[in-house]
Amino acid sequence: MSETWHADPRDLAEYSAGAIADARAASIEAHLVTCAHCRGQVNGLVDQDRLERAWFAIVDTLDAPRPTLLERVLGRLGVRSDTARVLAATPSLQGSWLLGVVVALAFATIAAQSGTDRGLALFLTLAPLLPVAGVAAAFGPTLDPTWEITAAAPGGGFHLLLLRAASIFGATLAAAALAALALPGLSWTAAAWVLPALALTLTSLALSTFTSSERAAAAVAAGWIAVVLVSAHGTQDLLSAFEAGGQLRLAIVAAAATMLVARRRDLFETRSHL
Amino acid sequence: MATIDDRSDPDLLRALAGDDRSALNELYRRHSAWLLSRLARRCADPDVVDQALQDTFVAVWRKPGSYQGSGEVAAWLWGIAIRRLIDQLRRRPATLHRVDPRDATSPSAEEQVLLGVQHGDLAGALDRLSPELRAVVQATVLDGLTTREAARLLGIPAGTVKTRMMRAKPLLREGLI
Repeated sequence: MSETWHADPRDLAEYSAGAIADARAASIEAHLVTCAHCRGQVNGLVDQDRLERAWFAIVDTLDAPRPTLLERVLGRLGVRSDTARVLAATPSLQGSWLLGVVVALAFATIAAQSGTDRGLALFLTLAPLLPVAGVAAAFGPTLDPTWEITAAAPGGGFHLLLLRAASIFGATLAAAALAALALPGLSWTAAAWVLPALALTLTSLALSTFTSSERAAAAVAAGWIAVVLVSAHGTQDLLSAFEAGGQLRLAIVAAAATMLVARRRDLFETRSHL
Repeated sequence: MATIDDRSDPDLLRALAGDDRSALNELYRRHSAWLLSRLARRCADPDVVDQALQDTFVAVWRKPGSYQGSGEVAAWLWGIAIRRLIDQLRRRPATLHRVDPRDATSPSAEEQVLLGVQHGDLAGALDRLSPELRAVVQATVLDGLTTREAARLLGIPAGTVKTRMMRAKPLLREGLI
């Protein structure tokens, strides 16, 4: 850009000191946009330490790890950035895990599409186990890479546990609810897995105060499948475990498990039983 | 920065796409000072101004491709900077906006005459506007902001920006006649 004139150095000095009338400032600003020479003059008029500090802050920002998509979405929703980081580091909230959940649900939904009780029973049995597996993966030393950090963190263990368990439960629930919409003949059965999901997840949490979270989840899964099979065998009705009586029993189990978790919450802080 | 970097501004932007940190440093060396001065005229809080300046160069580093390849890089940079400033102001509602545009330094009668010679009567008309009207003209006409962006920058409702602009127009027109 070759300019035929340049701004008066005194004007530039007054401008960068913020002591100039607006009309003249507007004229200088219009000129600065097109004139590299005058921009260079302003360079000498501004606090160099301030510019250097800002530069180092820029470099720091560029070198810091960028928040993941999940963290940014959570941030938009008003979640604090440290909480968002913890959630984003939860293995069962990451893409590969959720993909596994979706695939499992897809197979169960296809089975249920056949319209037989057998297919529906498969869906209703599997759906509640997904959050159980997700929560177990978030709290075991084998599957959670941040487990040691969490275990060593002073306090907050129980808080973190509830936070992660609730978010995993929510994410899995949302996926399963979408899948349930694809079930044939939408009726009460589409929601019959919600209470089992809650009861099984809570039971698995309660059991994980006695043993490792993976073992607790495996025991809950085995127990659940056994209950469904025995109940179906006894009544000659594949879906009997999900009807009113079964739902009531599951509600009682959920309440008992909640009390157990609350009573043994200190164990989550120390994890000394693991 | 001992050696002189003779790449043009668009060349530097192209180098940014190849993760060239020295190109960003050179752009910063050339443009940070005047951007800082210009931002400081629009916001009285130096922390907000510094943050907007930093955000500007972070945005440039991450999206150098949004420069269309024609026109002044400086103008493009200012477009980013003023919007980063508005973003900062929106996030900090408690920030004091620039309320009083230097009434203490309003030009003397003698200077008014000189201004008339230097810039024509429009400049005089602009300076004769009340500070509130002048701030709106500056944001919408000179900085090219939308009504909503100007409202955020000045910390007033969008409707107020519109009515002030309507009041300012005839006053500026008088200055030209």
